[in-house]
Amino acid sequence: MATRGSGPVITAQNLRKTFGSVQAVKDVSFDVEPGQVLGLLGPNGAGKTTTINMITTLLQIDGGEATVGGFDVRTQPEVVRQLIGLAGQSAAVDEKLTARENLELFGRLYKIPRNERRRRIEKLIERFDLGAFADRPASSYSGGERRRLDVVAALVAEPPAVFLDEPTTGLDPRSRSELWNTVRSLASNGVAIVLSTQYLEEADRLADEILVIDRGEIVAQGTPDALKHDLERDVLEVHVVDRTDVDTARELLGLDANVTTDVEARRIDIPVPGGADRSLDLLRQLQDGGVSISNFQLRQPTLDDVFLALTGSSVTETEEVTT
Amino acid sequence: MTTKDLDASTRAIVIDPGVTLKLRRAGQDTGTVLWRDMIRTTRQPEMLAFAVVMGVFFLVLFNYVFGGAIGAGAGFDYLQYLLPGVLVITALQGAQQTSMGLAADFNEGVNDRFRSLPMNQSAVITGRTIADALRNIAGLVLVALIGMLMGFRFSSFGGAVVAIALAIGMGYGFSWLGAAIAAKVRQPDMVGMLSMFWLFPLMLASTAFAPVESMPGWLQPLVRYQPISVASDAVRGLVNGIPVGDRITLTLVWIAVLLVVFVPMSVRLYRKVS
Ligand SMILES: Nc1ncnc2c1ncn2[C@@H]1O[C@H](COP(=O)(O)OP(=O)(O)O)[C@@H](O)[C@H]1O
Ligand SMILES: [Mg+2]
Repeated sequence: MATRGSGPVITAQNLRKTFGSVQAVKDVSFDVEPGQVLGLLGPNGAGKTTTINMITTLLQIDGGEATVGGFDVRTQPEVVRQLIGLAGQSAAVDEKLTARENLELFGRLYKIPRNERRRRIEKLIERFDLGAFADRPASSYSGGERRRLDVVAALVAEPPAVFLDEPTTGLDPRSRSELWNTVRSLASNGVAIVLSTQYLEEADRLADEILVIDRGEIVAQGTPDALKHDLERDVLEVHVVDRTDVDTARELLGLDANVTTDVEARRIDIPVPGGADRSLDLLRQLQDGGVSISNFQLRQPTLDDVFLALTGSSVTETEEVTT
Repeated sequence: MTTKDLDASTRAIVIDPGVTLKLRRAGQDTGTVLWRDMIRTTRQPEMLAFAVVMGVFFLVLFNYVFGGAIGAGAGFDYLQYLLPGVLVITALQGAQQTSMGLAADFNEGVNDRFRSLPMNQSAVITGRTIADALRNIAGLVLVALIGMLMGFRFSSFGGAVVAIALAIGMGYGFSWLGAAIAAKVRQPDMVGMLSMFWLFPLMLASTAFAPVESMPGWLQPLVRYQPISVASDAVRGLVNGIPVGDRITLTLVWIAVLLVVFVPMSVRLYRKVS
């Protein structure tokens, strides 16, 4: 597959977008090379969809610049549309049409010549295993089937730049891993891919470069390995008997900003780079200091922990789980 | 026209299409959307059924309930008077369906994809209006056939064809009004209500069901020249083989006015991006 000469297929520079008083995207920049997968990782409302919609010409760009294949999104949107495939956050297929008809519809609109179109559609149906439901209207599909058609629809034109907005949200594990394979094989064919996700694991598995985005801003950027160095520490979750125990624990642990406490839930979360040994030390320290521990567990970091580590503030306070 | 070969393995992309290519592609896209909307039409036969049932409802209601009063008084066969008006109303009902259908379309996810595709954006609306006009033809023919079962007689086949074409044309003009409303409002419920606002007054204060002479004097000039009356009178003259005067010309003028005003307006409203 193709791009104009060498260099990045997709570029974004200081992108900005404001909806009324909400600054949805504040300052987002990145480049995506052929064959590269860029992961946009962030919680709900971070600005992932807004970023993708600006580059794919669906939303006006308020500030900054974006190019695809070297063409300016703002001044040459018609050219850019010939170079992109988009699988948006809501499955964008015609519900009344079958998968085959949907692909035919988009293939025609991309102006792919008839014979070539037929050939590609059959190939895509086979390769992505749509055969079982290819001739039923999309309204009868399961979430996974619809999502798969949606992604395949973005590939009819064999575009050099593909945007996938939370492609696995709501999918069962099997469909998810199938989709992961699709993304990998696209990338190995030289397609530049922007993929947004709320899942750390997904970004880790697929992306060559991860952009952690929060409230419209990039809070961290790097290869999964580089980020993991920061993020991959276990969390010791301690539940205590009394509310006063929470304060006592806080004092004992000192001023480590990464320790979070929840008085209502009588819970303390402590990042522990040292794993089990360090945890035992900490628990003993708390116990010796007079904290009555009712329960504890050592767990993997969640996206929330990641954000905590990166931004110093929790992004999902409102849906914090209490046990 | 400038094209650029990105690479041997991919198709050439068009960077600066000339006017001719732009027009040809607009036509192509409209054809594609029409193809899609025709498939949808056949999978939603209830849309056609609804239009026909409404038409038959008006025929039966007015003919058997009010027919005696209106027809006997005026000294003519009321069904011969009524059916042409019902044909025009049925065509306008189709226009209302364009409005609701487009509003629903705009809310379906597929519309987001259309906007990311290298296609003529107004084809989404144009294709839809044409598909609805085709469905309208089927609706009008069915209503006419049912009218014939009830005793209606066309005076000539040619007259019938021209009459139905005029009714469809008026419906087509109004479907662009519907498209403009849908592109502005975008919520199917609201669009449904707004369509009632123009359809009902126009329908009742018209010569579709009763002659202009039966209306209050102050209202008569308005009734005489509004689009439903003009089209009803034209269709009525054609199917009964009686002189139509200025009615055909005025029908064509109304269609032209609707198209000139609402085609650019709907396209502009639809293209607006936030
Ligand atoms: N059309 C819109 N009008 C107003 N606010 C919007 C609109 N779209 C998104 N937003 C706001 O912009 C922010 C970013 O949203 P979004 O890009 O959808 O985030 P994400 O895709 O990461 O969940 C959110 O606060 C959201 O409420
Ligand atoms: Mg989103």
